[in-house]
Amino acid sequence: MSGNTVDNVRSAETYRRLNKKCMLSMYINNAITYIILSIILLLIFKLITLSDELSVQSIIPLILVSMILLLIYFIIGPWIYYERYRYMITSDKIDVRYGIIILRHILVPIERVHQVQVSRGPVNNLLGLANVNVTTAGGVATISYLEVDEAEKIVERLTDLINAMLRDSE
Amino acid sequence: MLCYGTVSDLPEYSTRMHPVIIVENTFRTAIALLIILFISTKSLDMPIIAAIVATALILLLLFYYRQWRLTFIHFGKTDIVVERKTLFKLKKTLPYSRIASINLNRGILNRLSGTSKLMININSGYNAIVPEASLTFERHLADRIRDNVSDYIYRDEASPLEESTSTIHFTLTDVIFHGLFSVPTQQSIIGGFFFIYSIIQQYYSTVSDLETNSGTAVISMFLFFIFLAVPAIRHMIYYYGFKVHRHGETIYLEHGLIRTYKTSFKISRVNAITIKTTLFSRLLGRSCIEAEVVGIASSDSGGNTRPLISLLANDRISQQLLQELVPEFVYERQGEKQPIGAKNVLIIRGLIASAILISIMIYPSILAYNSFASNSDGLSTIFQYMLPITTSLVLIGIAYSTHISLKVRELDIGKELFTFVNGLLDREIVIMNYDKVQMIHVNRGPISRQFNVAKGKIFMLSSTGTNSISSGLFSETSLERIGDIIMERSARTLGRYT
Repeated sequence: MSGNTVDNVRSAETYRRLNKKCMLSMYINNAITYIILSIILLLIFKLITLSDELSVQSIIPLILVSMILLLIYFIIGPWIYYERYRYMITSDKIDVRYGIIILRHILVPIERVHQVQVSRGPVNNLLGLANVNVTTAGGVATISYLEVDEAEKIVERLTDLINAMLRDSE
Repeated sequence: MLCYGTVSDLPEYSTRMHPVIIVENTFRTAIALLIILFISTKSLDMPIIAAIVATALILLLLFYYRQWRLTFIHFGKTDIVVERKTLFKLKKTLPYSRIASINLNRGILNRLSGTSKLMININSGYNAIVPEASLTFERHLADRIRDNVSDYIYRDEASPLEESTSTIHFTLTDVIFHGLFSVPTQQSIIGGFFFIYSIIQQYYSTVSDLETNSGTAVISMFLFFIFLAVPAIRHMIYYYGFKVHRHGETIYLEHGLIRTYKTSFKISRVNAITIKTTLFSRLLGRSCIEAEVVGIASSDSGGNTRPLISLLANDRISQQLLQELVPEFVYERQGEKQPIGAKNVLIIRGLIASAILISIMIYPSILAYNSFASNSDGLSTIFQYMLPITTSLVLIGIAYSTHISLKVRELDIGKELFTFVNGLLDREIVIMNYDKVQMIHVNRGPISRQFNVAKGKIFMLSSTGTNSISSGLFSETSLERIGDIIMERSARTLGRYT
């Protein structure tokens, strides 16, 4: 996303999309998860093949089918996630729409926001992406896979909005 | 000594807690130490154990005596400061303006020593279950401190703490009814099953003189106690002598047999009101009312941090109590039933769950049938058909829950309040205030999307930190309307969170 994104967010109260780099981040995370899962399953297979019991061995096809389905999900998932992800920050609310299987629409009135923070995992760090975590008294909402610059600008903007609201209420 | 009108009039005053706190703390730690000692020192002789216990007790007494001597509570003009000058130093400042509630608890030791425990809670989502300060004083002193701090918290209201009047008189029978029928239905059914099973086993053991049956009867009776009797008795003890009344903007509660609880909270701290019924209480036409209040935690309340403002009472009386205690949460409801799309979603989900269950159970059922087919005794015949029968019962359960889910769940979007009605066996009518909602999720699964329905999830600050309340399946537009109203109210600055 370009550098003037936040200005655009400020002016136009429309939904915004994520940078395509988010898919890369998800693919890397998914690949790591899949490799770890495969190693664990290989170890389980090794133990199962040592067993002579038919009922134990009969679960192997079930596990294989599950792994294939998971692989399909891991391949298609990031693309669907990217295509569906929309977020909007207006002067009074944070609105996020996302989901792969279940579609979620999250609405957080800015008036209820207590804390805003930027978080970056190792993969996101590598790709220059970050998450913005918005904390309310009732839970945390996250705007994921934003470019670092944009994430920081959003935090700044939200902090300004919250402070302005606090000043108004005094 | 502490005769003052309002907190601002308080003389600056420092004091220590009542020395009974030394005994209480020593006793509490000693029990834990004794358990560890007996588990880990089986090989030691009794005199050695006695010596260790005696030394530990003396050391604990000295430790807690020093802690008591070096802990001071300072009642200032603007705040209460708890300062501990021991090796692990502590200075906790509790501004009067931030105190959400100040409540009194009296346990057995408190009653014997003529003391009370003051539980002070701050308006905080964090550390919500444990009070910020738990201070033990002589009873009259604790009462006065509570009166004065309450005067400040519930400003402009005469403190009626000494009054023992109640909006409604709950008799001992009401308390017993509440104890018996407020236990969750599933738990009651399981408990009841074990009770009946225990009696049958006891009967057979008497008739046949078999000791194995007697053993099973004891285990079943034990499970009956765990599932039903203990929770029911606990409720009866906890809510014994239940009194509730409202004075101005404050609700006062008083109850408890062994430990007495005096709780008060401002109506503005109530985020939601829940009218609850279990299957058995519904059959008796009774319901109870629970309030979701932030900042009234009491570590000694046995984990019950959501106060009841009415025990199980006749539905008509419950409605009357709602009007008198929390009229802010009463409005003309016109519940919207789930749309036809929801019916399709629930039926499809039920069919999928049934198909999965059948496909999982078919193979073990055949295996069980074949393995027990060769034996002809009565028990084998039961085991032969046990899995298919259990599967059939679960299938009936799925069908029933689908039907009830359609029938029960409601949504009502009012001007000031909105309501979710949920539950299969135990039902809840949750009335929420728009201005207390922190966040909303509207979720649509793959099946729900096909029929244009969604599920709403409302996030609020609760007595245990955060809490979410889910709706049934309704049109997305209806659920989004809740968010729209919150934003409209917020724009009109009506929705400032208080």
